[in-house]
Amino acid sequence: MDLKEKLQILTESAKYDASCSSSGSKRSSTIGNTAISGICHSFSKDGRCISLLKILLTNACIFDCKYCLNRRSNNIKRAAFTPEEICQITLNFYRRNYIEGLFLSSGIIKNPDYTMNLLIETISLLRHKYHFGGYIHAKAIPGTSEVLIKKLGSLVDRMSANIELATDDALKLLAPNKNRGRVQKVMHYVKNNQSSKFVPAGQSTQMVIGAFRETDFDIMNRSSNLYHNYNLKRVFYSAYISVNTDKLLPSLSLPPLKRENRLYQADFLLRYYNFKVEDILSKDKPNFNLLIDPKEEYALRHFKEYPKEINTCSYNDLLKIPGIGVVSAKRIYRARKCFQITFNDLKKMGVVLKRAQYFITCGGKSLICKEYLNPHFIEHNLVIDSKEEKRKVEQLSLSL
Amino acid sequence: MKKINNIYIYDGSFPNLLTIIKYLFQENILPLDIKENYQEDLFSQNINLNLETDEKIIPNIVKNMGLKIFNGLYYLYLSNKDNKEMLIYYFLLYSLKYQEKVFILRNVDILNEAIKTIKYVGRENHKMKGFIRFKELKGGVLYAEFSPTNNVLPLVVKHFQKRLKKEVWLIQDVKRKVCAYYNTNLYFLDMQDTKINLNELAKDEVMMENLWKTFYKSVSLKERVNERCRMNFMPKKYWSYIMEVSDEESY
Repeated sequence: MDLKEKLQILTESAKYDASCSSSGSKRSSTIGNTAISGICHSFSKDGRCISLLKILLTNACIFDCKYCLNRRSNNIKRAAFTPEEICQITLNFYRRNYIEGLFLSSGIIKNPDYTMNLLIETISLLRHKYHFGGYIHAKAIPGTSEVLIKKLGSLVDRMSANIELATDDALKLLAPNKNRGRVQKVMHYVKNNQSSKFVPAGQSTQMVIGAFRETDFDIMNRSSNLYHNYNLKRVFYSAYISVNTDKLLPSLSLPPLKRENRLYQADFLLRYYNFKVEDILSKDKPNFNLLIDPKEEYALRHFKEYPKEINTCSYNDLLKIPGIGVVSAKRIYRARKCFQITFNDLKKMGVVLKRAQYFITCGGKSLICKEYLNPHFIEHNLVIDSKEEKRKVEQLSLSL
Repeated sequence: MKKINNIYIYDGSFPNLLTIIKYLFQENILPLDIKENYQEDLFSQNINLNLETDEKIIPNIVKNMGLKIFNGLYYLYLSNKDNKEMLIYYFLLYSLKYQEKVFILRNVDILNEAIKTIKYVGRENHKMKGFIRFKELKGGVLYAEFSPTNNVLPLVVKHFQKRLKKEVWLIQDVKRKVCAYYNTNLYFLDMQDTKINLNELAKDEVMMENLWKTFYKSVSLKERVNERCRMNFMPKKYWSYIMEVSDEESY
């Protein structure tokens, strides 16, 4: 098998991992360095950024997780890189500025320790023989000894272990060889030992969305716990894509992308907007509305607390306004110390008013007539104004 | 400030522009414009002060106004705005009074325009750090061409000086015909009067490009194709120099 075919197989097998961030680490060596902000080098057809060479060491695997392309029972072409091959491709891509570094994962071969040792051997070669100073994100294999986690962690910038599914029931059914305890043991170790020498860019994890009947409430609760207990930098959500047919799996013609989008929005609300899971979901309302975003939902449910006065409300309240993000909120917060803000100023600042207009006043004035300020009217407008709806209407009018 | 209907001429360099602006501040003059070349205009006069560039003007601005404001001025100078000289004039004028708060005063239209331009140059600089593609030539020299909207070459080279410090590389701005050459030291070459003879490609260059194209195609998920999203992040105007997508342009 030639190198090109190997690369193709081992990329196709690795592409379902969502993480591609390259930020948060300060490292410099004779060959290469990392950029603290992270740099995207390209964007693939699906719109996802490419900053790391995302490959598997091998796609052979002893596990049989139902949703996974590389499961043991699938009849697909298997391949494996040698450590030297990975080093050559990485270095050659890096100096041509195609990539920011390497994302290395692997199927489990023989046993977790054996696989982990292979990862360590490869990355150690890259760091020590070739003095590579670029970004490296490695997957930790759950169920290995702490010594190995320690070794790998001191070589890489980011380490991650995937939680895979939000609930234990789902894990038992769909990924019978995995268990949450082992994954959390890795996370626990990384959290307690993280420093500028050990996993400096922190750890992340990933969940598959829509392969089981778990609710958004289950998922957000799991994420919230993970952020809280293990200081994760990110939880990635990956809309389930039917790569296998199995009676235990749903058959979806399209991945649930909108749901994934809502989960990411809610995830950001947790991390940057001081929201709690209970603010946006509950046992009685366990799923997000796919037509409006979680913050709009929150605002409509707490409509009595609105409109917020841009010039006087607290920073925390600015963050609770739909359509205003962290950047806009900070701009407003700083600017209003220098001058009284009007709607015109908001536009100049680059604050998008499409959604915010229903929830704010500037110097006591509102853009919306008072009699229209009720949740029903606003919800209707927000749905109609959403891009997808507009596109649908456009398509309909074309077919007329 | 007294408004004077004159266009002042500078020699095109950043320190000279700042020297002229400093002179105008001292004389309390609000000019009609400051330009590199003579402008034909019936109602105004072109004035070339022929001021000698103040060598200390840049260190003085950094020392007295701070690096953030200096960078703002420099980014404006590198932008492709037609009125960048007057943006610099106003930006510096307001900075004297408000210091770093100028970055907040978006209610002043001319400042808002300046701030947006600064952000735009910064953003393009960041994008180019990712989108530049080197080719290896015989002898191991790395060569890249690009054509950014703003003149970000002096900014991106700082990044590559740190990253590829052991390599020898050339980056050419095709539109402005300027080239940065790095070989432990950095040189800027004007391509209008010098011609560089480039070696042919190194022997694995084509193979590496093919490997990268293979990776690029394989990593995308066909179930999630989203051309609009890709275009937002990677605008078409840059595609001709990004080799994994440049041949996609035809269809």
